[in-house]
Amino acid sequence: MIKTVTILGANGTMGRNISAIFASFGQAKVFLACRTKEKAEKAVENAYNSIRSESILCNLIPITYDEIEYAIKESDLILEVLMEDLEIKKNMYKKIIPYIKDNAIIASGTSGLSIKELSKEFKDKAQNFFGIHMFNPPYNLTLCELIIHDSKQENLAQQLADYLSNNLKRTVIKVKDKPAFLSNRIGFFFINESLKLANENIDEGGIDYIDAILGCFTGRNMPPLTTADFVGLDISKAIIDYVYENTNDIFRNSFEMPSYVNKLIENGKIGKKANMGLFYQNDDTKLNYVYDIKMDTYRPKNNYEFYFSNEMIKNIKIGKYEEAIQTLIEDESHEAIICKTMILKYIIYSLYITDDIAYDINACDDAMVTGFSWLPPIAWINILGEKNKIVELSEKYLDKKWVEIIKNKKFFEKIPAKSKYDYRHFLKAKY
Amino acid sequence: MVSENKSDCIENFSKKNVYILGGAQTDFQRNWNKEGKNVIALLRENIFDALKNTGISKNEIKKLNEENRVAIFVGNFISENYINQGHLGALLTEVDPLFYGLPSARYEAACASGSVAIDAASSKIKDGTYDLAIVIGFEIMKTVSSKEGGNFLGKAAYYEEEAKNIELPFPKLFAKLADEIIIKYKLDEKRFLNNLSKISYINYSNAKRNNLAQTRNWYIDEKQTMNRGTKTNPIIGGKLSLTDCSQITDGAATIILCSNKYKKEKNSNTNVIIKGFGHRVAPMLFDKKMQESENSQFILPWTRRACEEAYNRANLTVNDINVFETHDCFTSSEYAAISCFGITEPGKEYEAIENNIIDFNGSKPINPSGGLIGCGHPVGASGVRMMLDLYKQVTNTAGDYQIKNAKNAMMLNIGGSATTNFAYIVGQED
Repeated sequence: MIKTVTILGANGTMGRNISAIFASFGQAKVFLACRTKEKAEKAVENAYNSIRSESILCNLIPITYDEIEYAIKESDLILEVLMEDLEIKKNMYKKIIPYIKDNAIIASGTSGLSIKELSKEFKDKAQNFFGIHMFNPPYNLTLCELIIHDSKQENLAQQLADYLSNNLKRTVIKVKDKPAFLSNRIGFFFINESLKLANENIDEGGIDYIDAILGCFTGRNMPPLTTADFVGLDISKAIIDYVYENTNDIFRNSFEMPSYVNKLIENGKIGKKANMGLFYQNDDTKLNYVYDIKMDTYRPKNNYEFYFSNEMIKNIKIGKYEEAIQTLIEDESHEAIICKTMILKYIIYSLYITDDIAYDINACDDAMVTGFSWLPPIAWINILGEKNKIVELSEKYLDKKWVEIIKNKKFFEKIPAKSKYDYRHFLKAKY
Repeated sequence: MVSENKSDCIENFSKKNVYILGGAQTDFQRNWNKEGKNVIALLRENIFDALKNTGISKNEIKKLNEENRVAIFVGNFISENYINQGHLGALLTEVDPLFYGLPSARYEAACASGSVAIDAASSKIKDGTYDLAIVIGFEIMKTVSSKEGGNFLGKAAYYEEEAKNIELPFPKLFAKLADEIIIKYKLDEKRFLNNLSKISYINYSNAKRNNLAQTRNWYIDEKQTMNRGTKTNPIIGGKLSLTDCSQITDGAATIILCSNKYKKEKNSNTNVIIKGFGHRVAPMLFDKKMQESENSQFILPWTRRACEEAYNRANLTVNDINVFETHDCFTSSEYAAISCFGITEPGKEYEAIENNIIDFNGSKPINPSGGLIGCGHPVGASGVRMMLDLYKQVTNTAGDYQIKNAKNAMMLNIGGSATTNFAYIVGQED
């Protein structure tokens, strides 16, 4: 059904990588549209390299925006992945609208902007407009959030979802047009809570201290603050602020960005891409430094170790996962309590928000596995000892707001008994 | 000179059956080193998954161990190099105190290590020594660079002659096999290489149905397998490119074998048995193999003999086999296996490839699992993984890669440059 695709803004990392996904798994002819021919040609080369297959070269066609007319006229699907700027996007939409085929699907790859708002530009074609939100690199992270802005889109949405999952081999979750959609909403909830925790624990060390408590042994490839630094503090801020400004639920404060992060961003210290953010590495000595919130300066990064985490890592290393989790449950140190609190919040928030944003509560596991490579919330329930244990632990470690959610009978019953994901490979034997 | 007459060694392959109860395979996509986990974690996950899948409790193992009726057979090629660990039978005591005292040893025949471990286990069941045998094959390979790993694997050849100071010796040896096939059967080179590409493509495609396969999420199309010598499909040795090679894989596979006595005690309704085997060792040096096969129709006569003898012991022919798992360490080894299995005449392997006979939907499907190219090749595990896949096929439990109505299944596991050759036939008891 989808033979020809145009990617608008194909020179960006996301643009070229998505182009490769359509050209390979989708076997589609893909126009990679950029401002200049050079950029488009470079995008083609990067695209096939991203899936390590030159065989798709003939499906990748570099074009400039000046030649956009013939590409759009031929396209069954047009995906825009321009800068996250409403005006820039809308201007491009105006340019292409006259040429769009009647049945063509139009989509934006935005990770934050409202799909409903963007759809308005298309007037009578708004029903054909969706959000198609993928994660980088899409060859490894298969999550694809399909954002539906109108209930009348259901039929077409299902067809599109089938295409994305059967042809493009994406893990598709259908979500509503709500701030940050699902995966980033959960992921950046956790990241901002961690940023806040660093601030609350400045005397203990702050940033590197919190990352050590929530390290890879808690089911991720990278600790949360290292992740924020890697993604970029500017991008993290855009997502976190957007949720803060556009929501009004009981978790709004979880998206209030701590002032030290804003200050870093103002000074251009936006993370790894600037080699200066929450962390920085000295180019010559290769020594790692961390921003010390209290001292307001960088200091050598500490390699924090705690009894509970050392014990967990020791057991995970030899595959004794249950013993590792038992240590976490039993240890009552300040650090273990922070760790438990965050995991419980992650579980409850994920389920709560998935119930609101997605159409299927199991979507939270797909979202966190295939978007963030994190041990997913429902699998966490399975490890900790089933649903009642979560209630018991929440009563012990969380405040009323959280306990009320989990103890709500209707909500509790909705929680699936078992995750489809095997938790074991997520638990890493390292900080 | 190798005799090609029907072997007269159809001895009285004991009528005592060896039953397969099932087993488990780890996800071959995983990189255990990256997860920070060591060999103990790998063994623990796999062996306890296998016990769980077969419904055998710890208490049961404890009791059987007390009565000296259970043993463990470990297949592994070269963990001394990859992870600095030997004495692998004894290593299981570190996995769980359950294995204290339990007879356990490691078996090695390069990439056929899994098969020789199965062979030892099944012999001990047949002669009545033990009633339950746990066979675990494993290899952790992602601890070193591919160059360094290639050197370790070179020890499956006659190292001094064929591997010392040679980068990636095995791709070169199997590229030589490809060259020799072209010469021996006077094949058109382009057509032959396209045949090898098809083999690669089938394996990658099959792997997509297998949710434990290493390459299940990769993108490989037929064109990519045909374009050799490109940036993304570079030449690795001789005429062979990256897509002609199997993978570097971390993984383990366990199968659990038992006697009729145990099966009855357990009230198990398994009717899957090892029907036959063939085990032949060819000259170690590749050049000597070729010299010796000059007068044979088969390019790998001892590989053929191993298959033939498996058929004879099982009292079956190729017509009775519904599905095959073969040792596609390189596309050239799968090519040669086609005639060894008897699917075609020697020299006419291309017929099976071009007529889609070995496809997933063909009449003689090879490697529905994806094989070593698609599913992955943790060398010490591969023989065990193959037998587990045969078990899944004949019990209709292979999920998305199930071949319809598979009653009998056959595997070929080789070590070195087709030096150790091990064939097994697994099927439902008549």
